[in-house]
Amino acid sequence: MSIYLLQTINGIGIGMLYFLLAVGLSIVFGLLRFVNFAHGAFYLFGAYFCYQMTRWGWSFWWSLLLAPLAVGAIGWATEKLLLRHVYAKPHEFHILVTVGLALVVQELVILQWGPLGDSVATPELLQGVVMWGSFVYPKYRLFVIGFTAVLAVLLWWLLEGTRLGSAVRAGSESTEMVSLLGMNVFAIFSLVFALGAATAALAGVLAAPIRGAEPFMGIEALGVAFVIVVVGGLGSFSGALVGGLLIGIVQSVMSTLWPEGARIMIYVAMAAVLLLRPHGLLGRKG
Amino acid sequence: MTRHSHLLLALAIVLAMPLFMQSGSLASEVLIYALAAMGCNLLLGYTGLLSFGQGIFFGLGSYTIALLLTRWPLPMPLALLAAVAMGSAGAAVVGWIAIRQRGTYFVMLTLAFAQMFYFIAYSLPGLTGGDNGLLDVPRPSLAIAGHTLWPLASPWQYYGFVAALFLLTFWLLRRVCDSVFGRTLLAVRDNEERAAAVGYDLRLLKLQAFVISGAVTGLAGALHAMMTGIAPLSNVEYHTSEMIIVITVIGGTGNLLASVLGAAFYVLLGDWLSTLWPRWLLLLGVVLMVVSLGLQRGLWGLGESLWALLRRKDAAPATPAAEPGAAAPNGGQA
Repeated sequence: MSIYLLQTINGIGIGMLYFLLAVGLSIVFGLLRFVNFAHGAFYLFGAYFCYQMTRWGWSFWWSLLLAPLAVGAIGWATEKLLLRHVYAKPHEFHILVTVGLALVVQELVILQWGPLGDSVATPELLQGVVMWGSFVYPKYRLFVIGFTAVLAVLLWWLLEGTRLGSAVRAGSESTEMVSLLGMNVFAIFSLVFALGAATAALAGVLAAPIRGAEPFMGIEALGVAFVIVVVGGLGSFSGALVGGLLIGIVQSVMSTLWPEGARIMIYVAMAAVLLLRPHGLLGRKG
Repeated sequence: MTRHSHLLLALAIVLAMPLFMQSGSLASEVLIYALAAMGCNLLLGYTGLLSFGQGIFFGLGSYTIALLLTRWPLPMPLALLAAVAMGSAGAAVVGWIAIRQRGTYFVMLTLAFAQMFYFIAYSLPGLTGGDNGLLDVPRPSLAIAGHTLWPLASPWQYYGFVAALFLLTFWLLRRVCDSVFGRTLLAVRDNEERAAAVGYDLRLLKLQAFVISGAVTGLAGALHAMMTGIAPLSNVEYHTSEMIIVITVIGGTGNLLASVLGAAFYVLLGDWLSTLWPRWLLLLGVVLMVVSLGLQRGLWGLGESLWALLRRKDAAPATPAAEPGAAAPNGGQA
């Protein structure tokens, strides 16, 4: 039985990473009505920035702080320079412009770091395992669970308890209303997009010691993030959390039952949820 | 332009390629991706559905013909038909679930299905060869009762076969698009609510469009596997779906010939650039951003605008009537 307990805890760890990956996509959609196909590219950047910084001999902790800031800045610039000009166009052009951007990022990564992946060392402080009676668990994964839980609370507070958060929520209901109230909607758009990019990069940094860094991880992550927001409900914070945990646990438990099929199961779970609740578990209609 | 002029133009392109191009394989590749892009265009340009699942149908076509030709002694035309059938069956399943959602949800679902199919293909090495794909796909001649009608051994012989199938498909797709069904799809694209209010069964229409698109894309996948002699895993990767969309959009949506233009642009430019710089996809990403920002009707739209501009210079007084007419076929996209 303990193998299933272990896999469930593993699943929570992966699920929290998935949540972090999906929540930015979801918030950006909620406010901007914009599906960001470059979201996986920000995750990719996060992982590679971490890889590069640790190779320079910087501590992992610096990369945990600096990589999301750098990617957030890139996201902010992207919104200002590129995305702003396509908002008024049909949604397929939103998608295509970000698909183009994702392609550019992926090729830049290959250009800089080569087509083969590499591993990233676990920070010294978190190497080894925790032993608790008969229960043995890697320290780093426990850290990921704890850290992402704190982040989730912070993000929730940011969106529910601050002025920025209420502007974001109001903006997702009616952009015009927010601008009539005298707030600079475009500044909020840029900030939210930067926040989305930064959370994706953070997920990339946290994932790097677990799965290494390789150029095509962005696309895989994008697919997973889509599954989570489709399962949880697009534009919903709690949907991303519930969807992330559900998909993480399904994938992790299935990997003991049917290792080859573990990655297929998350899509099966998605199809099942969709057939029962077409708008996702916590999604709104429309 | 009239219906026949498009078919004649397609014929002219098919006949011109051997005159201007060195490589028969490259010419075949242009037509194969043109087929895939036309399948995508039927969904995107005519029905307003942006599907990231086209790689599934392309891959299904490749795997089906590779399996049939290597493991069962089935005549090639039948194997090709089976690949077309598998493409449309896959499209029916993906479409059936995906069209329950609209807009962005639909797009995300098709991408999720593409990823799912990739992992299925990856996890079943007994059937698909896993990472290696299926190798040594033969290219048997077209024969009836032992009489060879059309040998396919050399690249240009194969090009002739691909070209004939391409023209046939082009003609059939034109018929579909010009039919009442095709016009109804345009109504769905331009205003879904109104089309539903008039009483059209949106789901059925979209599903039919999906099945036709899957059949054409499956054919393209099968022809690709026969051309290269392998059905690789990469044919079902996300990148194949992405590439098919990119070709379609760069060519221009809502016009089948534009897809041929897009395929020629992509394949020829890719062939040329990849010898100069292996990371040429970076430039493609930039092109895609430029098209999304400013050239929403693709290369075809650009050509039409230039044409209209030239005509305006030639015959200044007649312009007001000529210009809207030239822009009309894509009016709904702008």
